[in-house]
Amino acid sequence: MKNSNSTNLILMTIPAVVIFVAFFLLPMARLALVSIQGPDGFGLYISTLTTPRYLETLLYTFLLSVGVTIVTLIISGISGIFLTRNEFPGRSILISMLTFPLAFPGVVVGFMIILLAGRQGLVGQVTQALTTQKVVLAYSMTGLFLGYLYFSIPRVIITIMAAAEKIDISLEEAARSLGASSWRVIKDVLIPALTPGLISSGAICFATSMGAFGTAFTLATNIDVLPIVIYTEFTLEANIATASALSIVLGLITWGVLLLARSTAGETLAASG
Amino acid sequence: MKRNAIHFYTQLFITLLACAFLIIPIVQSVLAGITENYIVGIKSGLTFRWIEEVWRLYSDTIFRSIYIGLACLSITLIAGVPAAYFMVVKKSRLTRLLEEFLVIPLAIPGLAIALAILISYGGFRSFRMGWLIILTGHVLFTLPFMIRSVIAVMSSINIHEMEEGAASLGAKFWHRFFYIVVPNSIPGILAGSLMVFTLSIGEFNLTWMLHTPLTKTLPVGLADSYASMRLEIGSAYTVIFLLMIIPLLVGMQWIARQEKVVKMKVKGKKKELLTISQEENNDQISATSIPRGTKKLKTGVSIRLERCAKTFIDGTQALLPFDFNIDAGETVVILGPSGCGKTTTLRIIAGLESPDRGGNVFFGDENVTDIPIENRSVGMVFQSYALFPNMNVANNISYGLKVRGDDNRKQGKRVNEMLEMMQINDLRNRRIDQLSGGQKQRVALARALATRPKVLLLDEPLTALDAKLRDTVRVEIDLLLKSLGVTSVYVTHDQAEAMALGDRIVVMDQGRIAQVGTPREIYFKPKNRYVAEFIGSINRIKCVVKCNKLEFPGGSIPLNGTNRVIAGENETVDIFFRPEHAIIVKDGQGHIAAKVASSFFMGDRTQLLLTGSTPQPIKIETKGRESFEKGQLLNIQIDQSSIITLRE
Repeated sequence: MKNSNSTNLILMTIPAVVIFVAFFLLPMARLALVSIQGPDGFGLYISTLTTPRYLETLLYTFLLSVGVTIVTLIISGISGIFLTRNEFPGRSILISMLTFPLAFPGVVVGFMIILLAGRQGLVGQVTQALTTQKVVLAYSMTGLFLGYLYFSIPRVIITIMAAAEKIDISLEEAARSLGASSWRVIKDVLIPALTPGLISSGAICFATSMGAFGTAFTLATNIDVLPIVIYTEFTLEANIATASALSIVLGLITWGVLLLARSTAGETLAASG
Repeated sequence: MKRNAIHFYTQLFITLLACAFLIIPIVQSVLAGITENYIVGIKSGLTFRWIEEVWRLYSDTIFRSIYIGLACLSITLIAGVPAAYFMVVKKSRLTRLLEEFLVIPLAIPGLAIALAILISYGGFRSFRMGWLIILTGHVLFTLPFMIRSVIAVMSSINIHEMEEGAASLGAKFWHRFFYIVVPNSIPGILAGSLMVFTLSIGEFNLTWMLHTPLTKTLPVGLADSYASMRLEIGSAYTVIFLLMIIPLLVGMQWIARQEKVVKMKVKGKKKELLTISQEENNDQISATSIPRGTKKLKTGVSIRLERCAKTFIDGTQALLPFDFNIDAGETVVILGPSGCGKTTTLRIIAGLESPDRGGNVFFGDENVTDIPIENRSVGMVFQSYALFPNMNVANNISYGLKVRGDDNRKQGKRVNEMLEMMQINDLRNRRIDQLSGGQKQRVALARALATRPKVLLLDEPLTALDAKLRDTVRVEIDLLLKSLGVTSVYVTHDQAEAMALGDRIVVMDQGRIAQVGTPREIYFKPKNRYVAEFIGSINRIKCVVKCNKLEFPGGSIPLNGTNRVIAGENETVDIFFRPEHAIIVKDGQGHIAAKVASSFFMGDRTQLLLTGSTPQPIKIETKGRESFEKGQLLNIQIDQSSIITLRE
């Protein structure tokens, strides 16, 4: 279109830009400033990252997120493909049930895990009845793992199903007509076609697991994941500079992973977060 | 599809396991919320007292969440929809950078954003203590979701072409935005709205940091109830929360299904084709009566292009500078292969593109170079029709009149005239997706002509139709253009269309005009090889002039009579002639003797490919009913006055 519209077009961005600059860019800059205004300056980052407690926490959080991402992708990948490729009675009910927890905030997810594997949870009761020993998983890293899994599975299933619906089914049929076994079809046709979807939904899954706070907060405040540490540094110990520095490190890691995924997957991340 | 049973059941098992994992705790929470004592179980009896208790303790958090959610939704709509539009329309490096920022709510943990807002604005006491600070966080967190959801829909519906269509009918920027862009993006806006509201209701990471004891929201209340160490209370609150989000989830699924229905419709077109093609057959009968009863519109204006060139931002030179005049009321067809600059020329005339500095476009005596399309009073028919899917047929046709400000009575009258003229009276109230290709074509023409434009521009209007329909519609367009007397510019890559419709044809080649002329001039007197070979088919023979003869390996042609061959003695020239200018003669009488390589029976004529005498096969056509065999020797005589030589 002709450039006479440029002024109007720029007018249209003003509300969004104002919000973004006033409540994100400037505050984030302030946060970065706060983190280096202490006596050590940039040294704070070095000392923070060399403090064993913080470093361990960062490592735990990272490993937990990677683990959650992998397991979620496997489960949701299988279910997502299964649900798009098969027609059977009850399919739509199954889909509704699998996607129902989509709107649950982290706190509710945490509570779900307490009900499932807490002190009075189902897992505990069943194991007590079977082996006389009560298994309680909820208040540990395992509980958090389950919580993030609970949080991520519905989201990833939605993305995978959307991606799988777009795959031309004749590709699969062609592979089968050429004699490929089911596993080969999955390996050679389905997975390559789903790769962009898997990468982007995996990245989102990873990012939410890195920054999620609600689930961990509900389960227990003493699990050492980064968001909890940031929270305690800020509120309980009033250590604003360290909290800022850790926030920035956490933000950079997740943003980096998302950017990497975006450039690999070569498409905009599906709006499923 | 047939499937391996073991695989099926393994996958089913995994899916059911995942489902159980997700659903069992929900069931538990519902049960716990309505039983007297969770530890004892249902045996203790069912009760609503926990839910009442929760309502007493926490109802304020629920209401606060709802109004924060609604406020957040309004702000994201006002800020997000225009921003999404900007990013779809203005594709540049800057918007790509902006898109990177859209992943922020996922990338930067809410905790960090909340911390940043607290450090920056926590000093403002009343802001810090109120719910506005929570709203700020929610807007920041949800805005990108709105923008992305709207972008996804906007980029899937070809908003650009629809807007050009609206602009060609005179709609200004804001009118286009509110009447075309927004209504057609409704699915994305709805999906985005539901998502924003749901996310805002459930937002915890930011809210926990930003809330005060007096500004607790629903998730904060939930967290409190979980911390109360009474599972029943927590469960009861969860039950209330579930009841709240069910309508939202149902809404989301409904929108998703709507989108699927639309997609299915597109896929299901093939089935519909049966009924539609019947309608089209009916249409064909009356097709030739189109101009009946139409008064002649006032004649169009002349168009003058002066030193018009176009260089795109990436440096591609789409058009080299050229001058061109179109007389008032004339139909000019711009013909050329894709990428020759024909559409760019049309878009410059339309006002959708500006010519490079120094180029000027005149309508009559008025210089319209700086006037955008909406003020040029042109009618335009787009290749994809660009009909507005949010309006029915009648509203599409009246759109240009409405924009112009005609009163309802006048609009209605003109719409009736147009429906009558295009013979589409019974389509008046149809939706656009219920039309066949030929019908869409007519609606597009009616819409473009409704405002009585001075200039009618048609951008490959027949390309999207199948062959048979193309012929019918071409006849209609021809009659229409002839009867209306409006100045028309028609772009096509199809030479048959060009020959049939054009008073004059402009043949274009790689951004320059190769030749301008009437269809006859172009066909019989092509200026160069490019034109000769692009229009119809033509034979070429390389020969040497010797003793007043054109000599070549398979024969010779006397020079006298070939008044259009310009060559000196002993010179090597390429001569050209069209297939219909050669006839089969008896042995010993022809210029060339050649063998039949293949013959194609076309019904009314037979096409022959001859080899053996010339390096390239010669193509000729014969009207006789005679059949030919491969290898048969034929004598060919060429009409000497039709032989031409051409520049490279």
